[in-house]
Amino acid sequence: MPRSLRISLLLLPSGLLMAVFVYGLIRLIGSSLIVDGTLDFTYYEAIFSRSDYVAMLGRTLRIAAMTTFFSLLLGFPTAYYVARYRGNRNILLLLIIFPWLVSIVVRSYGWVVILGPRGLINGVLTWTGVVERPLKLMYNDFGVILGLVHVLLPFMIIAILSVLMQIPRTLEEASMSLGGRPAHSFRTVLLPLAMPGVLTGITLVYLMATGAIVTPLLLGGLGDTMLGTEIFQEVMHFFDYPKAAALATVLLVTALAVVLPIQLLERWLSARLSDGGAL
Amino acid sequence: MSRYIALAVLLFLPLPIVIVVLSSFTSAGYLSFPIKGVSLKWYAEFLGSADWLKVLGTSALLALIGAFVSTAASFAAAWAVVRHKMRFGTAYETILLTPLIFPHAAIGVIMIVTLSGLGWLGTFTGLVLVHCILTIPYAYRPVVAALRKADPALEEAAASLGSRPWRTFWQVSLPAVRPGLVTSLLFSFIISFDEVTVTMFLVGPFVMTLPVQVFSEVLESASPIIAAVSAALVLFTSLMVFILDKVVGIQFFVERD
Repeated sequence: MPRSLRISLLLLPSGLLMAVFVYGLIRLIGSSLIVDGTLDFTYYEAIFSRSDYVAMLGRTLRIAAMTTFFSLLLGFPTAYYVARYRGNRNILLLLIIFPWLVSIVVRSYGWVVILGPRGLINGVLTWTGVVERPLKLMYNDFGVILGLVHVLLPFMIIAILSVLMQIPRTLEEASMSLGGRPAHSFRTVLLPLAMPGVLTGITLVYLMATGAIVTPLLLGGLGDTMLGTEIFQEVMHFFDYPKAAALATVLLVTALAVVLPIQLLERWLSARLSDGGAL
Repeated sequence: MSRYIALAVLLFLPLPIVIVVLSSFTSAGYLSFPIKGVSLKWYAEFLGSADWLKVLGTSALLALIGAFVSTAASFAAAWAVVRHKMRFGTAYETILLTPLIFPHAAIGVIMIVTLSGLGWLGTFTGLVLVHCILTIPYAYRPVVAALRKADPALEEAAASLGSRPWRTFWQVSLPAVRPGLVTSLLFSFIISFDEVTVTMFLVGPFVMTLPVQVFSEVLESASPIIAAVSAALVLFTSLMVFILDKVVGIQFFVERD
């Protein structure tokens, strides 16, 4: 069998699967743009002319940005601690990987049990008499962001950890033995090397937060929607597929507009680092 | 400082899972925590319900078929990229990973459009196709890493000793990448079994998966049976993680290739 034929056959199964995905992507964008055979921006005009939709878009970006920020804030120290841990690291890894692999439905539901009116926190607070009536801990931005950070934090930790594990501890020690203070060594040695992992983590968390449905619905309710929950409603309750397609395209564009530049930056940084070039 | 944040995070991550499992043992008719009285009645109700068991069966079969197909497809692609050193191999790898950089809500709508075009919306076949696409990025990485580590000289040695290509493949190549294949299978099985955001757009009156069923029950009721089903999902995931840890070791997830 000639080599090119053999390669084509080997690529056939995965290529077919990806072709199906691309076919759907093209049809999605098509169905939101073409009405009765002609190019028509009706659905997009309908979205951007409504102030509640624009507010929903803003809310989505704000919640995704805050989720990413808090995930980085909590994820970097955790990854650093685990990477430099001298004991049995596998137990720490298990505490990160296992929750990550449990379904997001179960984890979000867990937060409903903790934050709900009859949940753990309110139970303790009313029992001890700290508050008389249950606090409203969910069905607001706080609940949604807490849930999203919990669900997405492992992605951030794993992305940063996989980079930090490759950086030898001796590199920091060398920097410090040459008189660098810990904060200085961290900023000039560790942080630049960890940057590709940080960028991968930011990308993943931001993407998943903008496109999340389950966690925002369970912890935010149907009131203040995000792009994902709005798409869900258009499909499940109103059966308005062209509008859902237009909203999904808006979601794609806003997500990729943030993610692609970060990916390019990450590639550029990784290439420079592996060339041994100075930053 | 970073130490305290890390320890808090390591307690925070398993917290809601532990709470769900504990709350499933309640004897009350509504969900509350701390629980009111201990009983196993919600587990009895779950295991006694033909509907829930059918959905569990669907999910398991879907994840099983999806894991096998996407692992096989990934293995073939990885073989072309690594062993045949095909041109644009890196570009092809990037394409295989694209499902990862699309927001899930958008993938959901893309898949509605795709499956309705094929006439497979609300069918098991449709779900299998979509789960294969979603799990390819997860199946590809372990298998390509294993193939890169395996030494092609072994195959050359077998061939020079007169082994036919198929026999070489079954007896030399395949055993060399077995841990990678098993990891791909388990990893894509877990991802498929737990998937909900995309799947919930594609289920119908004739086909339903366990996580999607749990999700719609949580939206509609507060029955503690959801906690019992969730606890079963957690148990299942723990089992998978345990096997993965035995096969490749948990540090596989944080290794870079």
